[in-house]
Amino acid sequence: MTDLSRRAFLAVAGTGLGAAWLAARPEDVAGAHEHADAARRAAARGEAPPPLEVLTPEQAADIEAVASRIIPTDDLPGAREAHVIQYVDRSLATWAADQREPLLAGLARFNRLVARRHRGRSRFAELTADQQLAFLSANARDPFFQQARDLTILGMFANPSWGGNFEGAGWRVLGFEPRYAWQPPFGEYDAEPPRGN
Amino acid sequence: MQRQVARPGVRFRPGQTVDFVIVGSGAAGGVMAKELATAGFTVLVLEQGPRLEAHEFEHDEFNAFDRSHLNNQASLQPQVFLQGPGARPRRRQATVYHRLVGGGSVMFTSNYWRFKELDFNERSRLGPIGGTGFEDWPITYAELEPYYTKAEWELGVSGVPGPFDPPRSRPYPLPPLPVKSSGVLFERGARALGLHAQPAPMAIISGPYRGRPGCQHCGYCAGFGCEHRAKSSTLATVIPMAEATGRCEIRPNSYVRAVETDERGRARGVTYFDAAKAEHFQPARAVVLCANGCETPRLLLLSRSSRFPDGLANSSGLVGKYLMYNGNASTTGVFERQLNDWKSVMVTRMLWDFYDADPARGFYGGGGIDARFWGYPLFFVQGGLPPDAPTWGAEFKRLLRHNYSRTMNVDVHTTSLAVETNRVELDPVVRDDWGLAAARVTYRDHPDDVAMMRFLARKAVELLQAAGARRAWGPDNFEQTVGYHLLGTCRMGNDPRTSVVDRFHRSHDVRNLFLCDGSSLVTGGRGQPTCTIQALAYRAAEHIARFARRAEI
Repeated sequence: MTDLSRRAFLAVAGTGLGAAWLAARPEDVAGAHEHADAARRAAARGEAPPPLEVLTPEQAADIEAVASRIIPTDDLPGAREAHVIQYVDRSLATWAADQREPLLAGLARFNRLVARRHRGRSRFAELTADQQLAFLSANARDPFFQQARDLTILGMFANPSWGGNFEGAGWRVLGFEPRYAWQPPFGEYDAEPPRGN
Repeated sequence: MQRQVARPGVRFRPGQTVDFVIVGSGAAGGVMAKELATAGFTVLVLEQGPRLEAHEFEHDEFNAFDRSHLNNQASLQPQVFLQGPGARPRRRQATVYHRLVGGGSVMFTSNYWRFKELDFNERSRLGPIGGTGFEDWPITYAELEPYYTKAEWELGVSGVPGPFDPPRSRPYPLPPLPVKSSGVLFERGARALGLHAQPAPMAIISGPYRGRPGCQHCGYCAGFGCEHRAKSSTLATVIPMAEATGRCEIRPNSYVRAVETDERGRARGVTYFDAAKAEHFQPARAVVLCANGCETPRLLLLSRSSRFPDGLANSSGLVGKYLMYNGNASTTGVFERQLNDWKSVMVTRMLWDFYDADPARGFYGGGGIDARFWGYPLFFVQGGLPPDAPTWGAEFKRLLRHNYSRTMNVDVHTTSLAVETNRVELDPVVRDDWGLAAARVTYRDHPDDVAMMRFLARKAVELLQAAGARRAWGPDNFEQTVGYHLLGTCRMGNDPRTSVVDRFHRSHDVRNLFLCDGSSLVTGGRGQPTCTIQALAYRAAEHIARFARRAEI
């Protein structure tokens, strides 16, 4: 399993987020799980997601807009439907608390770039869809964007117990089913009758 | 998370002298405990990690890697890494191992390859390789064969011999696991290239075996414990057998900091920290270190004293040297139809056509190739797409959706030459959370190791193409910077000047100190060492028990 951890950690390795993850305290991690559990139970009762704790409505709107450009919604769920913003808020409230300041400072800088580029606009969420795409394409190396991408990936595809990937939305995109018990044939090639030669 | 479960077996009183204290409960330690306890000795196993029961294993990949409390994590057990002698020391994990009862045997992919005859005598066959510690073993394949068989039958291994297998005295106890699409395509590609694919031998039971249910094909083997006990870890197999003797206690959360010696230079026991970091001395008639190829040498170096100023059992100066990681590289192919290879065990087919070294290649080395899929969702999203794929946006999502079920990997597993400067030492500055000197690891692949990885990765991409991949690619960079296979650091040999343990795993310097784990290996094989580590443990235990019965320790 030589390559394992290197790959698993690719997205967040070397970032502040990665450092926060490595240093996370077990009680903070448990807090994130409990919160996600409560949110899932609330959703099952048809209630709205719990209110955000760390992000202001404006910050949440901006981050959710960025996340929705990273994993857009089409006929399958995107970052919005996966509740990535809930995941981000919860992470910043718990195990990634020390990333709150860098991330929000990064967002503020990011929005200043938006304002410089688009007269009369002060926040990313205020741009039109085309403007958002063009802006991200031009600023794909921005550190805030990179960190937002890492969080979006984790919020989209990590186990729902972390607060994102709502009802397995990210897994549905991949075609992964969390059934954890299968019988052959597993795929189309092993279902084929064996070839002669 | 941890629950107290009533378990059979003995609980030794504090300070009670046992026949054997074993450090580490993994692939080697678990086998050693069962064998010595069954032979009639009292055995205490000290394991630095916690004990989890099968039902406590989860499928949460975000938690499973890097910061898991079941790994040696940087926040508690930091390491220092130098990519070659003279390189700048960096604070980074250079070796990764699992710390829980059962150790790496709980978490490994479960590839279970025997070594072949040539792995033990290749130096004689090929001659010396300048600048390396390339050596023959002091034992042969034939001497180890009965213990390979014992390991396969006692632990439970699924497979069927292929055209390049070494001789065996018994077939595998269980038939191969069902082939996956990656295995079918691998066979197709191999056939087209004139190569010989065979079912992969796996330490996962394909059907019920000795009270355990067969594999349920959940898809979570590498890096995860098996909640069905179908993976033949020591936790699922020999550790309960050891405890059932009533002579063996497995004591988790016990982190050993030194092997203590008496005025005659004999081991008298070990000092360890309990879960509350309180220190205890555990007396024993003999000490067996099965702590892995990083922690066994580190513990010997930490056990330095006025009598042993360079560390215990280190008169050769070789403790910690000749570290081998095994070469590894992963290639990827995307096919037209769905493989769904994220289901079931990771590997179902492999080939050994390139096992032997071939002087015509111009460099030393050999290896095996297997079909698999690194299909955990986060893994795939972060590294599974082609190198030129976008990393965000609609096309990123489209590719994730299209490729996930259509992708497979072909991984190559290769030799590492023993190089003296690749080593584990004590760091002069960095300390772990218990105040002990951190492991300082220097590692740089020998140029032949890199050449072998590159050679085999090219073959792997050709195989994927021959199998009909729409697209196939491999890595550009082959240098290993993290080791999971931790081998060679207390090598076995007949000459006390050039080895640390003898052919029975007894340290040359301390009569009642035995070392048995990946550190004993003289050569690293072709990338799958667990089977050999466990065969060595069965063999060593038999000899150690014999010595103990004759009062020769």
